[in-house]
Amino acid sequence: MSFGGGLSGWLYREFVLGKRWIDEEDFSSSLAISQMLPGANVVNLVICMGEQLRGPVGALTCVIGFLVGPFFAVVGLCQLFDALAGYPLLPVISDGVAFAAMGLLIIMCVHGVRRAMRFPPSIITIAVTAILVGIFRFPLIPVACVIAPVSVALAWRRI
Amino acid sequence: MRFDTLVAIALVFIPFSLTSIGGGAAIVAGIQHETVAVHAWVNSREFLDLFAVSRAAPGPGMMLATVIGWKVAGWLGAFVATLALFVPSSLLCYSVFKLTNHHRDKKWHRAMREGLAPVGIGLIIAGVLSLFRLADGGVTAFVIAGLSGVILYFAPRFPVLGVLALGGLGAMLASTLSTWVSSL
Repeated sequence: MSFGGGLSGWLYREFVLGKRWIDEEDFSSSLAISQMLPGANVVNLVICMGEQLRGPVGALTCVIGFLVGPFFAVVGLCQLFDALAGYPLLPVISDGVAFAAMGLLIIMCVHGVRRAMRFPPSIITIAVTAILVGIFRFPLIPVACVIAPVSVALAWRRI
Repeated sequence: MRFDTLVAIALVFIPFSLTSIGGGAAIVAGIQHETVAVHAWVNSREFLDLFAVSRAAPGPGMMLATVIGWKVAGWLGAFVATLALFVPSSLLCYSVFKLTNHHRDKKWHRAMREGLAPVGIGLIIAGVLSLFRLADGGVTAFVIAGLSGVILYFAPRFPVLGVLALGGLGAMLASTLSTWVSSL
């Protein structure tokens, strides 16, 4: 069960900080690709990790395991909402859960920024991306398509 | 009749699957147009309610298809809508990752990973910012998100679900408190 986007943060905690199956750089770059491709970011991320760990079977298992729970949960929620339609606190509670889930994302950002400190241009990349998409509300795809090549070229020169 | 409806559901959601770039949020408006205006499966009030429900599931907007399918044609409808929305994009994504993961140890792949990592982080920060805007939670949102971050950062063993439950509880308390204060 995840609430409005905190899931990538949860995955990060489990796979990178907990089990150490995947390193941080891999995770963040896979996430960037997942966000540029069509489909739910998290589902794409899970496909990528499954593929890396166990090949096609891994990817399939991960996705199915990942969608079955929410599939029933969301229909269940639907029935619950119908039953509790008049209860004013329900949206408040679900918002609260969503805010708590943001904490997971914030942790991921903190780790990412700390890593980027080792290479100043990365900090600029993070800032420019966040400001253009998050504050000026530029569409994600064009921004990512412009910034990504620049960032990759910088990394290329450094290696 | 039932079968026709299922085919119609699949035909509505398959194109959306391949255009949902950047997650489900990108296609909510399109789904609304198709299901409310074109097919009249739900009215706009119902659509808003369904959207609220689907926000509590992975990828806002992606599970929207599931609940609409369920409303229109029961469990089968939910199943068809979910598959139609997830299968095409997943296949595409899998082939992309399959291609790139093969070249893991080459220099360009390393550069790609290192170069894309900060872009990914930037996009997450952008996502957090727009979520705050969408939720419109004011101070409460900041406090809850901040506290949850602090707990998870300093107590890595603390269960995630516990933090989420606390968040829901905290929001409930905050709203009850503010109603009570304004009634004095």
